[in-house]
Amino acid sequence: MNLFLLYLLLLKATVTSFSGLTSLPVVRADFVVHHRVLSDRELNAAVVAGRAVPGPNGLYVVSVGYFVGGIPGAFAGWLAMVSPAFLIIPLLNYLGAHFERPAVRSAIQALTLAAAGLIASATIPLARDALHGPLSLAIAAGSFVFMAFTNRDTLWVVGGSALIGLITGALA
Amino acid sequence: MAALHRELVVSRNWVSPDQYGLIYSLARATPGTNLLAFCAGIGWVLARWRGALIAILAASIPCAALVVWFTFGYSSLRSHPLAMSAIGGMLAAAVGMMAAAAFRLSRPGWKPGNRVRAVVIIIAAFALSYGLSVPPIQVLGLGALAGLAWRTST
Repeated sequence: MNLFLLYLLLLKATVTSFSGLTSLPVVRADFVVHHRVLSDRELNAAVVAGRAVPGPNGLYVVSVGYFVGGIPGAFAGWLAMVSPAFLIIPLLNYLGAHFERPAVRSAIQALTLAAAGLIASATIPLARDALHGPLSLAIAAGSFVFMAFTNRDTLWVVGGSALIGLITGALA
Repeated sequence: MAALHRELVVSRNWVSPDQYGLIYSLARATPGTNLLAFCAGIGWVLARWRGALIAILAASIPCAALVVWFTFGYSSLRSHPLAMSAIGGMLAAAVGMMAAAAFRLSRPGWKPGNRVRAVVIIIAAFALSYGLSVPPIQVLGLGALAGLAWRTST
């Protein structure tokens, strides 16, 4: 895939999201479903990579870029991740006074709720690819509880699930 | 964020608590990754474009390099059975992480008086995307319009 197109598609995903994984449905629609340059398994692995290292939640787009276009693709992913951040400058200059307006806050909150529904729908095909049997189901359930109800570091989930997989693999 | 607050407001007095609060709020309203927008905002207040650029580079380059390294490791180990067992565990965990992300995103909108609105918007977005294959961008646009038409009660 052309690097500029890769950047534009990832930018479309990041600039229309308001937190790390809310861009996931757009990324899946473009790269997995439409252009077919990424598999569900690779997208899932990109999410793991983005969560396994310290830093912002949106890091997984760098991994998506790497899967699609190697190191230059990772650079395109990095650029797509950081580009929207500069939009805060005009916001600081011109819109700071209007941020507390109920209409603006209500629209952003509804958009975030819609993103939650979209992430839930994007999780289903990824689950079909990653969950095979009771052990993987238990890992996914444990991961959900850990991530939804505690503020501990994600590395515990990533490391713990890898260790469980490793032990199970060795025993088999 | 707590560490940044301590460094920027308490220890160094580089920004006032009000400036910090404004930048934090606007970062949440800025598209993309909130933490990076926050860093760009702090950098802009301190040293305009140069500050914003340096803040973004410092906040994103090291972790992006780590992600590339992690992804490279995944790609290299795909043929190793034991490594694939470990990766299989991590991929299963990623499904839980994504479900948790959806759950956590919906929580701020889950307030008394707004719960029906939250449920309707989440289910509608899910149904439009999964059931009717409406592109995500259109679903998000409809979500924002719904927010304008159906305001929160608090």
